[in-house]
Amino acid sequence: MLTPGPGKKVGIYVAEDQQYHGSAAYAAVLDFLFFRGVSGATVTRGIAGFGGDHKMQTTSLVDLAVHLPVKIEFIETAQKVEELLPKLQAMVGTGLIEMHDTTIVKPAEKTQKKTEAERPALKWESKAKMMRIYIGENDKWNGKPLYEAIINGLRSNDIAGVTVYRGILGYGANRRIHKDAALSLSHDRPILLSVVDTEDKLKAFMPVLDQMVQQGVVVLSDVDIIKYAHNYEKAERRQEERI
Amino acid sequence: MKLEGKAKLLRIHFGEDDKWQGKPLYEAIVIKCRELDIAGASVFRGIEGYGASSRIRKAHLLRSSDRPIMVSVIDTEQNISKLLPALDEMVDEGLIAMSEVEVIRYVHQEGVRSPAS
Repeated sequence: MLTPGPGKKVGIYVAEDQQYHGSAAYAAVLDFLFFRGVSGATVTRGIAGFGGDHKMQTTSLVDLAVHLPVKIEFIETAQKVEELLPKLQAMVGTGLIEMHDTTIVKPAEKTQKKTEAERPALKWESKAKMMRIYIGENDKWNGKPLYEAIINGLRSNDIAGVTVYRGILGYGANRRIHKDAALSLSHDRPILLSVVDTEDKLKAFMPVLDQMVQQGVVVLSDVDIIKYAHNYEKAERRQEERI
Repeated sequence: MKLEGKAKLLRIHFGEDDKWQGKPLYEAIVIKCRELDIAGASVFRGIEGYGASSRIRKAHLLRSSDRPIMVSVIDTEQNISKLLPALDEMVDEGLIAMSEVEVIRYVHQEGVRSPAS
């Protein structure tokens, strides 16, 4: 958060079509500023201009105007700017960076959220277990896809979360290659369900899973939870809407 | 084949366009695993990512897509170590990570072995 007083204003000039690691340079710079905690940045698009190679670039209907100038501007403390400059120089390539002193009269403020004090995120012990279940896409349980049945089972057991991945190729215990063949009608691709929760809760679900998985692999490993937040109010509201 | 208790999970990350002797690298790795009698291997395709070259890989409508691929292999430490030298040779640019897992269940039904492959 900026405070009133001296600061630095940095202007970066690049061409609209300039690339950095496969994406637009100005977008990459903006992302970089955002994720490095810069308090604000603005991108403006020029309608005409010229740069290092002294070619006039204009918006003309005749030729496709893709070389137009783009300016990215941000205001930060001198210290923060020093910290960001080396990387910015690498990112702008042939572009230009200028900087001058400025005075912050009034810093931008955060928009006040209407919601009342946010509930603290659900705190979790940092150690947990990850369970991975490898099955086939065609596996069924009581007439419906096994992966769907497992998700329903996990949900009714209040397991924190599960993600289903579909593979493109694989083989398992029966040595048969499962492949996503464009012309074949049966798509028996590998399915991976990744579940994270405490050991106790996963162990409690194990007997149910034993009944459901007729063919496949289930493995368990230790994981460290970095963050887990859940807004119960929102979830409840969504549930009500569905009903 | 039996697999129980402590085992290793190997994850190999690379790009969809990577080739090995003219074949997609992920196919070559699965075939290699089968040759070495590894218990199982699955290939997953990501939708976006970046790796060692820090170039964002994602699907393009016009250009060929180079999306991230992850091959996941589970077997005993002994069997996995047989696979590692082969992987070293095949994977030029990518990442190989190994972690410890505990096998809870490894089952297959008799008689579903496909004669075709």
